[in-house]
Amino acid sequence: MKQSMIINGKEHEIDVDGDMPLLWFLRDELEFTGTKFGCGSGLCGACTVHVDGQAIRSCITPVSTLVDKKITTIEGLSEKGDHPLQKAWLNNKVPQCGYCQAGQIMNAASLLAVNAAPSEQEIETAMQGNICRCGTYQRIKKAIAEAADTLSKEA
Amino acid sequence: MSISNISRRDFLKTAGVATGGLVLSVALPVNALAEKGIMKDSGTSFNAFIHLADNGDTVIYCGRCEMGQGISTALPSAVADEMEADWQRVTVQQGDADEKYGPQATGGSASIRVMYQPMREAGATAKAMLIAAAAKVWKTSPDNCFAQSHFVINKTNQQKLSYGELASIAANMPIAEKPVLKKKSDFNYIGKELPRHDQGEVIVGKRIYGVDTKLPGLKYAAIVHCPVLGGSLKSLDKADALKVKGVSDIVEIPRFDIPFGSIGGVAVVADNSWTAQQAVKKLKIEWDLGENAIYNTKEYKQQLVANVEKPATLASERGDVDKAFKSAKHKIAATYTGGHLSHAPMEPNASVVWVQKDSCEVWASTQSPADIQKVLGQYLKREPKDIVVHVAMAGGAFGRKFKCDYVHEAAVISEKTGAPIQLIWSREEDMRTGYYHSINAQHIEASMDESGNVTGWLHRAAFPSIATLFNPSLERAPDDSLGEVTNHLFGVENFRAESGDAKAHTRIGWYRAVYAIFYGFAFGTFADELAYKSGKDSLSFVNQLFDNNPNKEQQEQIKRAKDILAVAADKSGWHNRSKLPKGQGIGLAVHYSFRSFVAMAVHVEVKGDDIKVLNVDCAIDCGQVLNLDGATAQMEGAVVMGMSLALSTEITFRDGAVVNSNFHDYPVMRITDMPNVRVHIPDSDENPTGLGEPGVAPFAPALSNAVFAASGKRYRDLPFKPLAV
Repeated sequence: MKQSMIINGKEHEIDVDGDMPLLWFLRDELEFTGTKFGCGSGLCGACTVHVDGQAIRSCITPVSTLVDKKITTIEGLSEKGDHPLQKAWLNNKVPQCGYCQAGQIMNAASLLAVNAAPSEQEIETAMQGNICRCGTYQRIKKAIAEAADTLSKEA
Repeated sequence: MSISNISRRDFLKTAGVATGGLVLSVALPVNALAEKGIMKDSGTSFNAFIHLADNGDTVIYCGRCEMGQGISTALPSAVADEMEADWQRVTVQQGDADEKYGPQATGGSASIRVMYQPMREAGATAKAMLIAAAAKVWKTSPDNCFAQSHFVINKTNQQKLSYGELASIAANMPIAEKPVLKKKSDFNYIGKELPRHDQGEVIVGKRIYGVDTKLPGLKYAAIVHCPVLGGSLKSLDKADALKVKGVSDIVEIPRFDIPFGSIGGVAVVADNSWTAQQAVKKLKIEWDLGENAIYNTKEYKQQLVANVEKPATLASERGDVDKAFKSAKHKIAATYTGGHLSHAPMEPNASVVWVQKDSCEVWASTQSPADIQKVLGQYLKREPKDIVVHVAMAGGAFGRKFKCDYVHEAAVISEKTGAPIQLIWSREEDMRTGYYHSINAQHIEASMDESGNVTGWLHRAAFPSIATLFNPSLERAPDDSLGEVTNHLFGVENFRAESGDAKAHTRIGWYRAVYAIFYGFAFGTFADELAYKSGKDSLSFVNQLFDNNPNKEQQEQIKRAKDILAVAADKSGWHNRSKLPKGQGIGLAVHYSFRSFVAMAVHVEVKGDDIKVLNVDCAIDCGQVLNLDGATAQMEGAVVMGMSLALSTEITFRDGAVVNSNFHDYPVMRITDMPNVRVHIPDSDENPTGLGEPGVAPFAPALSNAVFAASGKRYRDLPFKPLAV
């Protein structure tokens, strides 16, 4: 029987070895390259995507565990790149090399979905699995706080 | 500088941009580059392209490599500013490897210093030609016209012609000999907080990095190298790896006997990266580890310490240190060390290479595209210019991607399989078989008189130098690599620098900030130790050290160093530090490197062995800033990188091989440790100087000084809190 998962609202058949981590299914099979490889061991967060709205590390999540699940990648976070976090990222000029930022944004989106008004410490705790070697942490913190603020005004 | 109009040539078609309109190339006179020590070859080199299409769309090419430092926004914005282009109409494109762009090897924090002026002149020339075109249309004098935001305007009647309308006419205008550059007060973009041109792509996952290149028929490779430098393959059993479904080839990579060449390895080619990575683990390999299997960094560091705590090889000398020491009121000595560092950019080494019978095309995250052309040209026995190198956005580099061994490997695999190959190193290979910032030891002895004047300074440094890549038999760092010691701005009449023995047992490749990491640490920390001994506060003491320098040629630099230190101190609350709660302290350091002056004031809280960095005031004088936001970001990032190397990151070798493997045992700084960083950039009219690297150096000494102020505990070894691995 064919198995599939929903990625950014579209059904994709899982036609690879079930042990393949989602990261490589996305990158090499479907060519969604927005999700990045950083460590391969769930240590850096560059590969963060959402499974049913929750942030996971796609580099250590086999596709066999994702049958019928809803996956959201950075490409599908918003239709026009206008998620409050994406807007806050632009406004605070967060990216340097930008390589880790998809993972940072996806992780932050998962945080804001469950905690609309995180404290500074809650932001740090939630984001500690996401490494940025360029050192954009200060702006990441500011952007998340700003996006939370925007969301609270919209609510 | 010469500028040529090449609008009629059609080569831009191949670059996939609209043709027609005005195309300007800018050539730097080669002797200007040679004077700056950038280029030795003769001949003319083009450095920039402006393409103004008939619809007004403007493409500005950046020839320097982008790795997150923001150069592909900064340099084109200087062109746009002088051209009076509307930035909204400008698209930035990364130039492929091509000598027409001039030197593309991107390192040494040199891009803006070297390219700022020519880029402005390129823009000013384009503007002059557009004005001339409008003047011709209106049958008026160019003096009666001015340019503003993609239009030329007639001063008499306020008529306007758009840059698009003028492009083709301007293409036939003579090239302005000496374009007039704008006054600082008229800048639109230079010195302002212009957002990066590509951040809109980054936040939606559409920015394409070296690791993201896709081609029809692409095959994916994973690689394993001998864990010890100089080792070689003894036996290889491919059977189990070949049984993995989706594996198509196993390729042995030869060693490239050049400084930045591949050390050789074994690669598996498969239908996707994951399959290749799984299969590579199934290779049964025996390595002949070679003579570096004796390398243990713990013992090696102890040996370096021993080598600097005894007389070493003279590098430079002035006055008579021995005499000064004999008559000294105070004598003080200290030894400082640092470990190997891995650059560990978030994007591991990656490229795509497709070698075909008549072509070789490369897509790579790289800091050194011309070197790829040269090396692959030699390997494939083709002309370097026939190796097409597309310079991809690098997901961080920090010096690592200056050495393109990973590209050589992809080329070998492609040549042997005939397929386009994407080779991505695993994080483990990146950390274990890379290039490493030098492990190091320094010993300083100094004498002081009763007024706290330093009368003698003996400085010994020992570290395996990057020069060992070019000459592996080197016994110690060459004299010129102690230049930052000899030419330090502190004023010491009797001075001697010595180089301690330090053979290399791994590949040395500088990390962001190079020598300044360890020299900055030793000078900045030792000055604080001397200040304490003299009973003076650190700021007054350092200023006195600068003031004691009689060298006339260094007076301007000394003034700038003192001024920037004053900024960091003032902003940090240094002068009110006596009111800080118990357990808190502020430490200062200032360092001159890459022709820029950076000072930091680090404010910490120390509880037992726990160090919490609360605030960092970082001040830089890098002359005229091109992009204020980019400069600020570079300083924020430098603090974070300085924190990683000061507190936690170190590469450990045991029996010749790196023990660390990934971010769990190479703990780079995370968001939970982020202090409040305040960046201060005083306005300056001096020529622009380095930005990418100099910010890293002062953090570690300022932190050591802050912890001492807070707790009385002195850290002299980097990192302060090494992880046991």
